Amino acid sequence: MRWVHPLTSGRPAELVGGKAHGLGVLTRLGLPVPPGFVVGADACRAYLRDGVPPSGLASEVRSALAGLAAAEVSVRSGASVSMPGMMTTVLGLPADPVEPVLDAVAEVFASWHTPRARTYRDLNGIPHDLGTAVTIQAMVYGDRDPRSGTGVAFTRDPTTGAPVPFGDVLFGRRGDAVVSGREPTVPLGGLAAREPRVWAELTRAMARVEEHYRDACYLEFTYESGDLWFLQVRPGRFTGAAAVVVAADLADAGVIDRTEALLRVAPGDLRRVARVTGPADVVARGLGACPGVATGRVATSAEAAVRMAAAGPVVLVRPETSPLDLRGMAAAAGIVTARGGLASHAAVVARAMGRPAVVGAAGLVVAAGAFGAGDRTIPEGATVTIDGTSGVVALGEPAVTASLADAHVHRLLGWADDVSGDASDRPEPERLSAAQAVLRQ
Amino acid sequence: MLTLHTLRCAGSTTLARLAEIAGRPEPDVESELIDLAVAGLVTFEPGPFGGWGVTPAGRAAHAAWIAGELAAAGTRPAVAGALDRFLPLNAELLDLCEAWQLRPDTRVLTLLDDLDRRAEPVCADLAGALPRFGRYRERLAGALARVHAGETRYVTDDMASYHVIWFQLHEDLLLTLGIPR
Repeated sequence: MRWVHPLTSGRPAELVGGKAHGLGVLTRLGLPVPPGFVVGADACRAYLRDGVPPSGLASEVRSALAGLAAAEVSVRSGASVSMPGMMTTVLGLPADPVEPVLDAVAEVFASWHTPRARTYRDLNGIPHDLGTAVTIQAMVYGDRDPRSGTGVAFTRDPTTGAPVPFGDVLFGRRGDAVVSGREPTVPLGGLAAREPRVWAELTRAMARVEEHYRDACYLEFTYESGDLWFLQVRPGRFTGAAAVVVAADLADAGVIDRTEALLRVAPGDLRRVARVTGPADVVARGLGACPGVATGRVATSAEAAVRMAAAGPVVLVRPETSPLDLRGMAAAAGIVTARGGLASHAAVVARAMGRPAVVGAAGLVVAAGAFGAGDRTIPEGATVTIDGTSGVVALGEPAVTASLADAHVHRLLGWADDVSGDASDRPEPERLSAAQAVLRQ
Repeated sequence: MLTLHTLRCAGSTTLARLAEIAGRPEPDVESELIDLAVAGLVTFEPGPFGGWGVTPAGRAAHAAWIAGELAAAGTRPAVAGALDRFLPLNAELLDLCEAWQLRPDTRVLTLLDDLDRRAEPVCADLAGALPRFGRYRERLAGALARVHAGETRYVTDDMASYHVIWFQLHEDLLLTLGIPR
């Protein structure tokens, strides 16, 4: 085979893409991965050069598909660098006849050159001639029956760095439902009581992948009729306090050395940001779009926000935002939207105004004078607290701190001073930068 | 009615900003606002976040007017086609705004210039379909010129920034076609 490779080929991510490379790692670790194969990025480059798939690709895909013996397949993009959501993915495609699968592969190739993907590469310094690999796998069905579901999981808490599994699961649904953010998910821990065997396998897998990557990891999974399957793995790439905590914890455990711990943390990760800590009555979770904490009374319209802001801080809760909400956002201490991502109008405006914000709080339903979250209804005027780092929306006023990881920061910076030989009193980012300068010499 | 429409797209705002958005003298806009207020279609709220805003009756009158305007012009296919071309550009612009807010550097501005060039024919087609859309081209170009003159808050961080104008254009397209958010 010239263009098509088994998931376990061990070929570099430059050829098979980050997704297939991770699936190969999972397979070699003995973890369950739906059978599949990958079309290398070199085939994409040939396609982009010639405008047609390279000769031989069709017959290779045909015979690889025959080897899968799957009724339906997924066809996913996957470059060697992360370009989330920029390219095409096709789910639930019948494997026979083969032509629609080949068309889907060409469609994924072509999606490399959408203007948005080009701009994303320009922004992130990714070469335009890299191309994307295409992973084709047997479909697994998170919506098969009540004993099926799908989820995303971090091996540690991505906002605190605490060594506890963290993520979301959606019972009886496919993976695209979780990623789209359109449906309300439940915290990952809900799996433990509902599917103890899946949970046990998942936590065992978390330990294996952490051991392999020597870092906190991110996993996507589906379980079908009680059988667990992994669809993606990558290092967690934590930032902020979580980066500091994980680096220091892994160094303490001897998983990485202190040099590596110091190099894994960016000076900007040491910035102090207010965070919700301790027990909180969480009513919804979304994406933290603008860091900081805001406590205020719920307003469900811009008019209400403006009116209520005269008497004290308000948190504006909207399905998504239109220009009509701009003055309400200006009047509010914090902003929550049910829909939208980190690059949405609401997120851009919140950051422009410096308002802590949570966007894409799935399952949150905004009505006149109240919002619903799960089976609860929160009336206008109720006090809520939002954390624009973790994406938490909580009732009342939970404890807030700006110094979440003091012990870890102290430990890490002690190592930094040992390296730089300078223990003088300086701002924390400077202490880390000085050590990194020495280590990178 | 154009003043009502401008206010509907911009959200509640001050007379000065409304005149700037419409590109018309303040006294003209103010006298229209007063007429609209007498008709119960707009209202003025005092206070730090107050300003002129559209009433529920104003929203209903606006919805009827804007549907009639498009039907009379007979250019729905052109406007709908422009929205189809606008949406991918919108996703790209929001990526650029996010990148700028995380790391404001000239690379983002170069890419914004490029996006603005590609948005130009979409705006031109819109102006051809409904002349009132022509104002967005002028305002976007104006914001970009200020950015290049060093006033970088006109990327995302001002109420007359490129992003806010673009956001209003997005809203205008949805309102014009009667598509709910």
